Amino acid sequence: MSDEHGISRRTFIARGAAAGGAVVLAGAAGTALSACSSSSGGSSTSTTAAGGKPGVGTGTPVQGGSLTVGLLSEIDGFYPPQNHWDTSGYIYAQCLYDPLVAIAADGSIQPYLAETCTPNSTFDSWTLTLRPNVKFNDGSDLTSTVVVNNFATLKASLLTGQALTQVVSCTSTGPLSVVYKLQAPNPGFVAGLATQVGYVFGQAMIDQYKAGNQNPTPVGTGPFIYQSWVPNNHFTATKNPNYWRAGLPYLDQITLRPIPDTIQRESTLRTGGVDMIGSTDPDTIHRFAGESGYEVIDSLNNTIGEVSMAFIMLNTVVAPTNDLRIRQALAKATNQTQIQKIFGGGFTQTVNGIFLSNSPYYSTTDFPTHDPAGAKKLVTEYKAEHGTPTIQLLTIPDPRLAQVVQIIQQMWSQVGFDVTISQIEQANLINDFIAGKFQAATSYQFGAVNPDLNYVWWSTTTAGPVGSIALNFARNSDPVIEQNMLTGRHTTDQAARVKAYQSVNQQLAKDLPYIWLQQYIFSEVASSRVQNWANPKLPNGMSGYAFDEGIFSPTQIWMSK
Amino acid sequence: MGKYLIRRFLQLVVVSFVISVLVFMLVHLLPGDPTTQILGANDTAANRAILLKQLGLNLPLWHQYTIWLNAAFHGNLGTSYLDHESVTHILATGAPVSIELILISQILAFAIAIPLALVVSRKPNRPVDNISTTTTFGLLALPPFVVAPILVAVFAVGLGWFPATGYIPFTQAPLTNIHEMILPSVAITAGSIAVYFRVLRSDLISTLQQDFITMARSKGLSNLRIMWRHAFRPSSFSLLAVAGINIGSLIAGTFVVELLFALPGIGFALVQAVEQRDYLVVQGISLVVAIAFVIIQFVIDFIFTIVDPRVVRE
Repeated sequence: MSDEHGISRRTFIARGAAAGGAVVLAGAAGTALSACSSSSGGSSTSTTAAGGKPGVGTGTPVQGGSLTVGLLSEIDGFYPPQNHWDTSGYIYAQCLYDPLVAIAADGSIQPYLAETCTPNSTFDSWTLTLRPNVKFNDGSDLTSTVVVNNFATLKASLLTGQALTQVVSCTSTGPLSVVYKLQAPNPGFVAGLATQVGYVFGQAMIDQYKAGNQNPTPVGTGPFIYQSWVPNNHFTATKNPNYWRAGLPYLDQITLRPIPDTIQRESTLRTGGVDMIGSTDPDTIHRFAGESGYEVIDSLNNTIGEVSMAFIMLNTVVAPTNDLRIRQALAKATNQTQIQKIFGGGFTQTVNGIFLSNSPYYSTTDFPTHDPAGAKKLVTEYKAEHGTPTIQLLTIPDPRLAQVVQIIQQMWSQVGFDVTISQIEQANLINDFIAGKFQAATSYQFGAVNPDLNYVWWSTTTAGPVGSIALNFARNSDPVIEQNMLTGRHTTDQAARVKAYQSVNQQLAKDLPYIWLQQYIFSEVASSRVQNWANPKLPNGMSGYAFDEGIFSPTQIWMSK
Repeated sequence: MGKYLIRRFLQLVVVSFVISVLVFMLVHLLPGDPTTQILGANDTAANRAILLKQLGLNLPLWHQYTIWLNAAFHGNLGTSYLDHESVTHILATGAPVSIELILISQILAFAIAIPLALVVSRKPNRPVDNISTTTTFGLLALPPFVVAPILVAVFAVGLGWFPATGYIPFTQAPLTNIHEMILPSVAITAGSIAVYFRVLRSDLISTLQQDFITMARSKGLSNLRIMWRHAFRPSSFSLLAVAGINIGSLIAGTFVVELLFALPGIGFALVQAVEQRDYLVVQGISLVVAIAFVIIQFVIDFIFTIVDPRVVRE
């Protein structure tokens, strides 16, 4: 399933879950089981292409040149406390800023702008030491004071403050030393600093904002310096000649162009208007894979941790979906294989939960297989007691999703449901999710480096009655899931973590708040001139997370001559 | 003439005021509000209340309207809730794009439709006329979002003659700008050609049967002179009226083409703002577009008085 226009908002919700936003710092444990150098046990495999790995540069890096990237959507600004960074937003951010920590290829959290990050013995206090001699592009120094001021601004913001509720204080204990004190022990705290709240912006931006400038000029320590931005047209940044990572970046200039329509984006790549594009349409992979002159990388084989899933969300507290038989019937009536065949581009695999078969947390579950006869039986049983079950299936005005829900409507109708479809604007659908005013709705979510980061979406503490605000949108309040998530978050024993999350997945398959459809697929296509766009290296020499569901690093890209 | 123009101007003022009220009310009738877009999943009741107060959206609607109208009179159309750009700036950057798109497309449309109509109207129902009529009928049936991908596939990807997307302002690189605007403009032109051709052809055929045309022929005037000097002017009234409405509707109606070709015009900005419940942007752009539409009709009416002096006398 592809989503051009809605991607920014939906992806923001997903990324909000993936801890930049509302989740990680609210207490999700993560890959950093001690300090910020432990491995999560996550794995990734790369696709191979004839002659080498796609996106991995060969030969000697070439200094100079300009890269133009076609993005799915536009950013709404560059000020982290105020603006929403979805997939496209993070690409902008990677050009201008650096995060305090970053995700490595093995899924662990590694220092980036911070040199070290060390917890105390009880994991409720974290000390970050910043790198010395790093300057912002306005010439000011990176100091602990700036980081503390960053934190204060983020904490005060309505948008990002929620993500920092567990952080009691952030104080400077030296020119380059910052201490975060937490409300409660959290072994995975630093994972959140790899997201929006961890990208460090200059004091000048804070000062400009306080002076009334709602769109402060970006000031960061990143590989590129902001030059110009025409919303919905282009963004241009030039090489930071004083970048603290010696020898980087290779490019002289990077230009980002939002091109919402997928076909037009692909056409622009083919005509040389851009050098790279992103896509959420599986057919993009079909159209470019194996074609000479282009390289393709996708999230099918390059995702660490949990992938984003497309699913139908069912409200477990409103009739008729509050009846487990109904949820079972809907799941049995849904032919996942057929949906994937039509909309998955032939790439996706059968899913029985939040973990794919190559995940260490994967296990078999009792997620219902396609069984229309079994579904009819359950519907008949329900009908005898309550009458024909009526379902309103909500979705956003996306052409591809409209096709999907029509097929699902047919599948459900054939087993006895009375199904109507409603298309609602993204913003209103989110409102309905938050307030629980829905029965069934399409969604995609749960992509996360670490399963801890999805705690808020499944916790009993975030469920609530219809009409109240609840981030556990499906209102599936299951103590078994809660207990296992807490175990997973707080234990340092990997085997125990795996067992706990397998139990979560198995319980979700029993409770059925979600009918899984397929993995959400991101892809990136680049002309063969673009080198090394999926092979980032972290400051400590480790390989970085190459392709975080659409996000790549521009720092080490070069253009071959 | 002066009285006529003053009367029309006063009508413009009244219509603009009515439009401002309608636009304001319609926007606020949309379900939802900007807080969800701004706060996302952090849209708690408490945060929402704070934000609504910050944005002034907790005030009664009539109060919000008077604040907005007062600011608009002083040239301040407000600021986007999402990216905090001023509406004036959004219009200033987007309007030239949309205007250029409309200008090029309409020039192309007139340049093709008028000569074609002049040629075929002399001999209606002949092969040339039949082919032209059928072709334009087909063009009428093809909306821009169908024409655009075909143009890109053939002329951009296939032949490599034009870029698929992109926009550089005319002031920065005039030739590149024109090059980039050809395909988007042609995508809009197709429908306009069809409309203008059919309207003008029909009026020309009717005019050519008038006595004064017979008189002109009997005086030995050339066909070219008859068509251009005598037939075209009285046949252009409908064309003017239709052109006025068509151009007016294109002001923000180009959003599909702007979306497909990634042009930062006001049409696309307006649609985005509606999706995001960015009230002030919607109100500001809608108001300006509506006023522009009225002004265009005003200009068309003025042109009418020149083309047909009888309008003023009546």
